[in-house]
Amino acid sequence: MLITFLKRFGWFWVLVIMQALILNNVHFFGYATPFLYIYLLLKFDANMSRYSLLLWGFTLGLAVDIFSNTPGVNAASATLLAFSRPTLLKLFAPRDGAEDFSPSVHSMGTGPFIRYASMASLVHQTALILLLTFSFAHPLVMLLKVVSGALLTTLCIWAIEFTRK
Amino acid sequence: MTVPRNNDIMRNLLNFLFNYGYWLLFLLLEVASLLLLFRFNSYQGSVGFTSANRVVGQIYAVSAEVSSFFKLRTVNDQLTLHNIHLQAENKALREALKDIQPDAQEETTAHALQEGGYDIIPTHVINNSLHLPDNYITLDKGAADGVSPEMGVVNGNGVVGIVYMVSKHYSLAISLLNSKSSISCKFKHNDYFGYLKWKGGSSQHALLEDVPRHALFQKGDTVVTSGYSAVFPQGLMVGTVDSIADSNDGLSYLLHVRLSTDFACLDNALIIANKSQEEQHALEAKAIKE
Repeated sequence: MLITFLKRFGWFWVLVIMQALILNNVHFFGYATPFLYIYLLLKFDANMSRYSLLLWGFTLGLAVDIFSNTPGVNAASATLLAFSRPTLLKLFAPRDGAEDFSPSVHSMGTGPFIRYASMASLVHQTALILLLTFSFAHPLVMLLKVVSGALLTTLCIWAIEFTRK
Repeated sequence: MTVPRNNDIMRNLLNFLFNYGYWLLFLLLEVASLLLLFRFNSYQGSVGFTSANRVVGQIYAVSAEVSSFFKLRTVNDQLTLHNIHLQAENKALREALKDIQPDAQEETTAHALQEGGYDIIPTHVINNSLHLPDNYITLDKGAADGVSPEMGVVNGNGVVGIVYMVSKHYSLAISLLNSKSSISCKFKHNDYFGYLKWKGGSSQHALLEDVPRHALFQKGDTVVTSGYSAVFPQGLMVGTVDSIADSNDGLSYLLHVRLSTDFACLDNALIIANKSQEEQHALEAKAIKE
């Protein structure tokens, strides 16, 4: 129990620091920024309670916000992601699998896991960009940012999964 | 006689809360996030939720130390170039001065500022962004060093921003690259003025708004601070006029200004404290009231 918590706590800080010091400075073509920190939320066990998921999501987002001077923006979108994660997992997890598993390329298969990860980053990225720009003045630019950011995030998640296997 | 007993109602309610309580938690957290988002603009106490807080400030300070080490080479090159320019300028000025008045005093910028009622606090930029709709800069000096909100921030090349919030040892400045930034600027060679704004896009360009239609200027003219706002002294470099357009209502000019500060590589900066700023503010507030 304690070990699991410490492990999650370690991942939490590694991901937040990495987001703050490295990934926030990445802007492919001036549009795409990867938000890899959501990896933590994606990896929680499938039967984790919705309450702790939400609290982890909020805290994680808030930590990233404090580092990037965007109070509330990441917190709101990470909470939304934490809220929708059980539904996403139900949609993409194989039906004949075990009841309790940690989502990964291994446990779900590459295809389903990537679909799950990309859908999750799309949800997160949409909320994030909407709150960040807070106007519909340039819908096309926004769409481009959402799609490219989600793609890049998925790519990063896939890369981490690949190296951890 | 099927009146539901109190017991049942309680149990149903508890069941409901147990099964759907996460909806409540979700809404609660979202409301909390949005409160943070909307209050950030007006609430000074929220400095703890920015990178100017103690822990985050320290982390960024370490990271900035490391990366500034790698930037040394570029900085060196820039300094050398700057030095050559200054030497040439110095030489030209000395010669010009010799003709006019043989006993004039030499003054450095910092010295000149101090003479003009401004205090200078040297600082380092430890965190900075370019691509958000509202960019902020974290500096490694805070209230303990005499920094307070509304002080100007400049570096060797030009204006950088205005201090927004301060914690004990760090402060958060609004970069010129922020929709909230509005700096009163004028042309170097005459006194027509406008407001410098930024509306996203390139980190090297900003807009000069509200320049009157009868103002005299041309492309390439230098734009400097006007000194009207008491944040910056008059005559600090801001940029040069890049292109000229009409404002939406057609009543004034809208100028694209090429900023002289390179926001992509900020490191050293100066915070300017105007000693008489409070007095000017009090006077202006009084005038508005009456």
